[in-house]
Amino acid sequence: MYQAKRVDLFTICNYTFLTLFCLLTVYPLFFVLIGSLNDGNDYMRGGVYFFPRDFSLANYNVVLQDERLYTGFKVSIGRTVLGTLTSVFFTAMVSYAMSRNNLIGRTPYYWVHLFTLFFGGGLIPYFLVLKSLALINTFWVYIIPGLFSVFNMIILNAFFREIPEEIHESATVDGAGEFRIFLLLFIPLSAPVLATVALWNAVHHWNSFFDAMIFTTKPHLMPLQLFLMKMIREADVISNSQFVPPQVQRQISVQTIRMAAIVVSTVPILLVYPFLQRFFVTGFMVGSLKG
Amino acid sequence: MPRRSLIYRFATQWQLQFMALCGILFVLTFHYAPMFGIVIAFKQADYSVNLLRSLTEAPWIGLEHFREFIDDYMFRDILLNTVGLNLLQLLINFPAPIVFAILISEVAHGRFKKIVQSISYFPHFISWIVFGGIVINMLSVESGIVVPVLQGIGLMDEPINLLGEADAFWPIIILTSLIKGLGWGSIIYLAAITTIDPTLYEAATIDGAGRFRRIWHITLPSITGTIIVFFILSVSNLLNSSFDHIWVFQTPLNLDRSEVIDTFVYKVGITQMRYSYTTAVGLFKSVVALVLLVAGHLICKRVAGRGIF
Repeated sequence: MYQAKRVDLFTICNYTFLTLFCLLTVYPLFFVLIGSLNDGNDYMRGGVYFFPRDFSLANYNVVLQDERLYTGFKVSIGRTVLGTLTSVFFTAMVSYAMSRNNLIGRTPYYWVHLFTLFFGGGLIPYFLVLKSLALINTFWVYIIPGLFSVFNMIILNAFFREIPEEIHESATVDGAGEFRIFLLLFIPLSAPVLATVALWNAVHHWNSFFDAMIFTTKPHLMPLQLFLMKMIREADVISNSQFVPPQVQRQISVQTIRMAAIVVSTVPILLVYPFLQRFFVTGFMVGSLKG
Repeated sequence: MPRRSLIYRFATQWQLQFMALCGILFVLTFHYAPMFGIVIAFKQADYSVNLLRSLTEAPWIGLEHFREFIDDYMFRDILLNTVGLNLLQLLINFPAPIVFAILISEVAHGRFKKIVQSISYFPHFISWIVFGGIVINMLSVESGIVVPVLQGIGLMDEPINLLGEADAFWPIIILTSLIKGLGWGSIIYLAAITTIDPTLYEAATIDGAGRFRRIWHITLPSITGTIIVFFILSVSNLLNSSFDHIWVFQTPLNLDRSEVIDTFVYKVGITQMRYSYTTAVGLFKSVVALVLLVAGHLICKRVAGRGIF
């Protein structure tokens, strides 16, 4: 990295552009936050751009009474934690075996994996396979099909191959089996890249709703994102309106409720983001570059 | 030493084989089994949910489903939207993070750089549903901010519901994916730029190279490898429209420009349970993707002298 010494036109344009881009990214979040804190009916008159005009917490009152929100949080947290841990472990295990030169059948195995990146059966046959496996409408439909990712396997495989052969050799001389070497040596040695893959997995799990929309119909399996999607696309917003007193109902609107729901579901990410960030400016770059 | 038999060697590495075969078993189940399911595209297996029975018992009907799709009144629109949206995203969203990474790397002020990075990575962590929900609120005619701003700068004469305008759909998709993905997409290039030897820049500066010459002759060539790897990945993923992204912004009013094969398959296949028909549609997509991939490969070879593989 080199340092520019003088301030030229390029620098000015660059700083201006980057600043504008950041504003463009931050403002929508701010827009939703103030909208959610505004009285619903007042909000519909428009013009709430910088500060709440008629401050009210009624929207949150309604959203936080919706049971589906809590179910959503539970399902999403559950699948993110369990899904990420199992997927990283399983994918790392296969990658470890695939990274060993003496593995019999290594080349054919590799092609069997690689082919799936270029061709697939499509959604409907996939759906029918999950149906045959009795995964439809179970929590496991979130976890099991995501256990293994060919793409991540290739990345981990490349990383494992960088680990010096002597480490494996000396462990073998000491009498360690492959499982032990994988668990006690390779996993700790590749912590940065495992963490990177875990981050990708976690983001995917937390944000996905497509599988829930297609493979489940039970309300108790509805993750947070599907709940939000229903609110945003299908406008079935005030489901619990019978529990909302009339004077509160006058203070809310479909839009401000949605905004409150969006804010509530984004708060957990805002809370973990600073920690994630520290990790991916250091570990992430080291990890991903080797892949 | 005589070579040991294959079976013996296989047995001695049973631990490794177990680990590797776990992966093979997985892809056989979740990737290859659906490929065999493609057979139902050529059968009359609609409304039946048992894959095995569909495969064995359903009557063959040849290419009937493909003909039906091509005759569908939406066919031209769907094909145009699927190919158009994806090519446009490849054309715009692929190079954009590279430019963004270069712009960030040109920032000398460490603190400013960190702030820009933190902010630009953030949208990657929120889902399309949340991000789309925010944008939808901003586009609202009554209470949003986009319509008044567009009117203010004279780009719009009277308030229009942009989500109801088919012609506004593509720009919305491109712009939103730029804002959401730019920062995150630039990380890998930024990492590649960080590894460039700074003495190269010093030498170039002494030789009188200006900023653009340094970018053109040092930065870009140094990250070409990374660019090519990611280009291949994007091309191999060409027709997989981001379902989440399109789904949030799709309304009955903009279907002309928003219906893509993925959304069509979901609606007709899953909700109407027309399994055979939509399997055929999905297969159609795979074939078009393969044709585009081969075409891209040939063009790359002719223009750049090397293929994409």
